[in-house]
Amino acid sequence: MKLEYTVFSFDTFKEEMTKLRDAKHFDYLVTIIGEDFGSEEGLGCIYILENTETHERISVKQMARQIGNDYVIPSVYYIWRAADLMEREVFDFFGIKFLGHPDMRRLFLRNDFVGYPLRKDYDMSPEHNQFPMTDEPETDWTSEWNLNDLGELVETKHRLFGPDDYVVNFGPNHPSTHGVLRLQTVVNDETIEHVYPHLGYIHRGMEKMMEAMTYPQTLALTDRLNYLCAMHHRHALVGVIEEAMGVELSDRIHYIRTIMDELQRIDNHLLFLGTCAQDLSALTAFLYCMRDREHVLNVMEETTGGRLIQNYYRIGGLQADIDPHFVENVKALCKYLRPMIQEYLDVFGDNVITHQRLEGVGYMNLADSINYALTGPAGRAAGWHNDVRKNHPYDLYDKVEWKEITGTGCDSMTRYMIHINEMYQSLNIIEQLIDNIPEGEFYIKQKPIIKVPEGQWWFSVEGGAGEFGVYLDSRGDKSPYRVKMRPMGLTLTGAFDKMLRGEKIADLIATGASIDFVIPDLDR
Amino acid sequence: MEKVYILSSLPQMFDSLLRDTCGLSNFWAVLIECVLVGLLVLAAYATLAIILIFMERKVCAYFQCRIGPMRVGPWGTLQVIADVLKMLIKEIFFVDRSDKLLYCIAPFLVIIASVGTFSFLPWSQGWNVLDFNVGIFLLTAISSIGVIGIFMAGWASNNKYSVVSAMRGAVQLISYEMSLGLCLISAVILTGTMQISGIVEAQTGPWQWLIFQGHIPAILAFLVFCIAGNAEANRGPFDLAEAESELTAGYHTEYSGMGFGFFYLAEYLNLFVVSGIATTVFLGGWAPVNIGIAAFDSVMDYIPGIVWFLGKTFVVVFLLMWIRWTFPRLRIDQILKLEWKYLMPLSLCIIVLMVICVSFGLTFTING
Amino acid sequence: MEDKKQSYFGEVGSALKTLATGLKVTMKEYFTPKTTEQYPENRKTTLHVAKRHRGRLVFKRVTEDEVNDPQIQKRGLKVGDYKCTACTMCERACPNDTIKITSHMETDPETGRKKKVLDDYQYDLGDCMFCELCVNACNFDAIEFVNDFENSVFDRSKLVLHLDKEKYQGGSLPNIIDGGADWSVGTFNTKTK
Repeated sequence: MKLEYTVFSFDTFKEEMTKLRDAKHFDYLVTIIGEDFGSEEGLGCIYILENTETHERISVKQMARQIGNDYVIPSVYYIWRAADLMEREVFDFFGIKFLGHPDMRRLFLRNDFVGYPLRKDYDMSPEHNQFPMTDEPETDWTSEWNLNDLGELVETKHRLFGPDDYVVNFGPNHPSTHGVLRLQTVVNDETIEHVYPHLGYIHRGMEKMMEAMTYPQTLALTDRLNYLCAMHHRHALVGVIEEAMGVELSDRIHYIRTIMDELQRIDNHLLFLGTCAQDLSALTAFLYCMRDREHVLNVMEETTGGRLIQNYYRIGGLQADIDPHFVENVKALCKYLRPMIQEYLDVFGDNVITHQRLEGVGYMNLADSINYALTGPAGRAAGWHNDVRKNHPYDLYDKVEWKEITGTGCDSMTRYMIHINEMYQSLNIIEQLIDNIPEGEFYIKQKPIIKVPEGQWWFSVEGGAGEFGVYLDSRGDKSPYRVKMRPMGLTLTGAFDKMLRGEKIADLIATGASIDFVIPDLDR
Repeated sequence: MEKVYILSSLPQMFDSLLRDTCGLSNFWAVLIECVLVGLLVLAAYATLAIILIFMERKVCAYFQCRIGPMRVGPWGTLQVIADVLKMLIKEIFFVDRSDKLLYCIAPFLVIIASVGTFSFLPWSQGWNVLDFNVGIFLLTAISSIGVIGIFMAGWASNNKYSVVSAMRGAVQLISYEMSLGLCLISAVILTGTMQISGIVEAQTGPWQWLIFQGHIPAILAFLVFCIAGNAEANRGPFDLAEAESELTAGYHTEYSGMGFGFFYLAEYLNLFVVSGIATTVFLGGWAPVNIGIAAFDSVMDYIPGIVWFLGKTFVVVFLLMWIRWTFPRLRIDQILKLEWKYLMPLSLCIIVLMVICVSFGLTFTING
Repeated sequence: MEDKKQSYFGEVGSALKTLATGLKVTMKEYFTPKTTEQYPENRKTTLHVAKRHRGRLVFKRVTEDEVNDPQIQKRGLKVGDYKCTACTMCERACPNDTIKITSHMETDPETGRKKKVLDDYQYDLGDCMFCELCVNACNFDAIEFVNDFENSVFDRSKLVLHLDKEKYQGGSLPNIIDGGADWSVGTFNTKTK
């Protein structure tokens, strides 16, 4: 979607945003994009909002006001709670202070990092960006910034950890954090009182890197986000570039992309079912899922040449045509997988211990799910119809028959069951398409140097764990001016504190398992 | 009328060899026997640990569609030996600001408890190492030393995971000792003795194993014992103290080399000891399968008791591994709920039922 | 959702039933064929590697069939020659600076036309992220990825390859370029022979 901004004045911004949520039902904050619009315009933010009833999307642009050396924007933290980590991310990369945000710390970078790297005037020289050889300083304090009556910026300090708090660090190196997530958890005996996520242990600065790359080169990075949703990530980036360039794809490309996306979803869900079992110590169920995932990967590898890093979509189509045996292999795979899903349920999903461990754990009701922007299966477990494939169909999702799976349990068990049922839906989609792949081009030839016309676009796809969207600001060059990716896991992690207060340590692991976040995706 | 089984007189023969043939005095004979038996116990302990670890690897692999270790030695048989060697040459480190004394003692306490209970196992008729008239009672007493070891290890490590794990371990082990003890008491009611050799002796003869003799209450007691024993041995689905996906490795997170090795050994041997006690008390220990047909029984009686004992024990071990590799782990409150809400009342019922059966002569016996 | 109100014993009963189902499944799997593929024991026998798997970059050489192609003839290439013209499109396409091309200009004595001649085509396998952008960028069909994956060495400097200097012979394993042993969905090549 090409972005047409609404702009509010700085002083009425908060009221107008509240009005949008309350009066016009824009209660899902998709993402906040910080951007350095250049030396004339300065720093600002773009907010993308969705009306959860009509699924209409709008974007709001708000420029930051400069006070001395600081840039400020009123926070929307109390309007959409999902803004918590998103605003911290903008603060981290652009140095925009959000007025009234109660926890204005850096999110991805170290506390002692100097400068704001995504500003265009940031010094990228290697001398200025030495790898630090000291430990990261830890602080028990956080800041809130506000404007006083005189229009000056004042800081209020908040204490995160009291002197008597028993703080356990889950991660960054921990078997169940699916990567290098660090959860500073305040516990009282076995009961959790607070969870503070620390991110950035695998932050690679992809958005900054992309600003220096040509468009085809940017694609090489997306597979390295959530490596279980490589196709989805690349689909979103390819989608936004193709939309901006106005590339018309052949039917064959649409068919193959839809099938590949669904195969990838099955792959992701199989790994989810496995790791969910493993986090609850059912290693056997984990290996059954991994065994069957191997078959999915084998089928994909014959065509794409990759297992995790698929490298299959490119601007204007696909890297290569499907393998000659692809159709028969996929059919055999579908036939093989259907009975196997029942086996996962028999050995793990229906087990009374699993039910005891997951039911009522990590509870998040519908209103909170939307407020915290829990997209994907986690939100659908609360009955929120948030599937991008239904709400903003791309490729063939509006032409095939499939059901959006939602639940009412709002807990981890429902999330698990949604993954199971979505696998059946994915198999349905694949089976409808696999026999009808039309003849045609698998790649629409593009110019050797790809340039995208000026403008801002947003394109999102349904990844394995939620909505994955890409914002592209092009100034007509061969590299993007600004790319922002909405990771699937960021809002999920932001909701941990809400979900886990008052639950047990073991529930932290169970909730993490059922919510399906992957750290390279949310760190980028 | 006491029936004598094959090889049961071996210890006596050895004793008379020392005293009569070699003409040693009482002191020297007893000394040599003690040293020899001690060595045998430790050797058996180590050998069984290696066998059990190898068995666990292969069995768990087979449950998980894998084939397990294959590289070291034919069919991977030397893998565990390689691991032991690796563990022996590992650096032993100490943790800053830990309680050094407790930190060092803890693994020994755990292994002492494990070897102590191990020594109670009746290998064959007359092959008991420790055989007191309050055997069962002493057995449960010694086994609970292990809890202190776990608790001390967790506490002394100066690691938050370890402390949480130690608390979990302590609360879990103390709870499950309850139903473990109650199940053993029901067996004592049936056999009328606490001496381990006496309990096994009472199970010789056709259909005299306690689970046949005591039928319904005994079978229930056996099942409860297996569950509680699994929890006592800190094995999944009750491995909360270790809980590798929550607390990395729990109370032994901060141990390396043989310190860790001792915990590891003790875990596997506790599995064996629990299965061994279950075998002794409910499955007839070394008593052979007798079905009341003379020809069959006499053939069975020719098989030495130790073969019967090990065979039955390994069947129970396999059963416990099967459970371990099928189920997910419980949560701490659920584990306590299971004990106090289900197993405890059940074992109390079992005792009442057993008392009724015994006092009204409702037990299943053939030759009275 | 089923009826949640069950009696104490009903609860225990249905709980035990689910546990028994789990035990049944694992016992069944205990006796089904295993899945472990034993690499490297099977590397020359039952190993299957997808044909399109990206193991490393190689220079394509002119084959017998191609030698009559007018484009090839125009450039005067013989069978076994590489097709690279040192145009550096691949070098510029690479996001990782994996490829470094050095060349010099040479004047053809017959036609008098100036032509770029390749001195060295350096490809650092250790830096490569296998994105295939270089292959996409190449206008002369000069490079390709092959599925030869056994590239580990003890010294990083050995990963720096000079593609124009080597004659790639098809990797360390027989038939691996064609995918190796057969494979079908739902099975594993567990045997080593």
